[in-house]
Amino acid sequence: MTVFNKLKIFYWSIALVSIILGIIFSVQYRIARDIQYIDSILRTQELTVQVDQMKKERDVLQAQLTRMRGQFENLSTGPLAPEIKEGIEPAFIFAGVTEVSGSGVEVTLQDSSALHEPAENPNFYIVHDEDILKVVNELKAAGAEAVAVNEQRLTATTGISCSGPAISLNNKALVPPFVITAVGSPEILAGALNMRGGVVEFLQFCGIEVSVKKLEKITIPAYTGSIKSDYISERDNNDIREGLI
Amino acid sequence: MNRSFFYSFTLVTIMLGVMLGFQFRTTSAGNSVAASDRGQELALEKKSLVGDLHEMQMEINDLSTKLDQAGIGQKEAEEALSIELAKIKRFAGLSQVSGPGVEFIVQGQPLQAGAGTEHVLQNITDQHLLKIVNELYCAGSEAAAINGQRITAVSEVRLAGSHINVNGTPIAPPYHIIAIGDASALKGRLELKGGLIDYLNECGISIEAQEKSEVVIPAFTDKLYFEYAKVVQEN
Repeated sequence: MTVFNKLKIFYWSIALVSIILGIIFSVQYRIARDIQYIDSILRTQELTVQVDQMKKERDVLQAQLTRMRGQFENLSTGPLAPEIKEGIEPAFIFAGVTEVSGSGVEVTLQDSSALHEPAENPNFYIVHDEDILKVVNELKAAGAEAVAVNEQRLTATTGISCSGPAISLNNKALVPPFVITAVGSPEILAGALNMRGGVVEFLQFCGIEVSVKKLEKITIPAYTGSIKSDYISERDNNDIREGLI
Repeated sequence: MNRSFFYSFTLVTIMLGVMLGFQFRTTSAGNSVAASDRGQELALEKKSLVGDLHEMQMEINDLSTKLDQAGIGQKEAEEALSIELAKIKRFAGLSQVSGPGVEFIVQGQPLQAGAGTEHVLQNITDQHLLKIVNELYCAGSEAAAINGQRITAVSEVRLAGSHINVNGTPIAPPYHIIAIGDASALKGRLELKGGLIDYLNECGISIEAQEKSEVVIPAFTDKLYFEYAKVVQEN
């Protein structure tokens, strides 16, 4: 083979490679540019920004609400008719609109870390809304006076629901590990959970990691959301006596 | 021949390396924004946030009016405080309330004679009732009661012996669950395909829902007593 021939092969291969590279680059460039401008992505980006901002706004409003409720509570120390004065504190605690502390338990629920067979349903190994509901119900039955899940106070109208891998409660999305705190007698609360055939045993059987800690002092935050009364209105007992129903 | 081949090979490899790097950066840049299929979730979240913010703003306005009023004098303060206290009590379940809502009657389905299958799972357990109540609150119910027992922040629905206890009071079937709220939304959420009512029917439990223009829900009547919980005093 001559030198000329060698050179020719070299040039050809370079030319070929350059052409291929050129095509690849231009395609790559266009794809990259298109990704940035796909409508749905733009819209999603915009939504993300809006949602983030609204969340910040919500936090500000929540802080304001909590502060104002606190101001109301402080009014009870002023000169007032005794029936109002004495009614405030228990009602505020019971409603969950004030921060409380006392002895209690802390229950941590975590998705199973054990490896499972690929064919098994992974849903069996994660913490569900139902599991939290069970633990909370058990705590209430054992006399818990205030309960919170991941720092979200449970009120009379709090529903616990599943939203994808997170759990939604008081309009907030909570992610594992789930820490359930309750104020009450630590012995009774822990005893009720750890009972033979009780909720802890059941959850462990499902492969969920559960730990129950008795604590001398635990603080449960106040409910920070709004109190909705779009549908309920008060009804005096008198109405019943008068046969209005 | 060999040399030229290696040169071009080296060149191509370098180019490929650069391209891979470039490609990797574009893809990971794309990951920093939420993927496009999250659009729906975000839109729903936004909707719920809009409602939330509105509710909170309304309440803040209301509270600031009351607080202003309370600043005027003792009589005004008492008035503002008792209105606010009444609202908190309604929310907590400490007063009797009424409003539009739904009544559910939950009972075991009658055994079908000669059907050949035994409904072993027909018993209604505390879990079933707990789920119904929870689902109602998720659907935005503002107050609920089972057989006249108001559900509060510390109410349990739990099997104790052969009865289900609510607020420490035994209740017996048929179970009447009453909830106040947007009646069609409450009923709709439970009646979703693959939803709670479907599930309960599968367990051999019949659940009958009736929308009502007015239902009355009694107050939680036990005496409030907190042995452990103490209010945290802010400085």
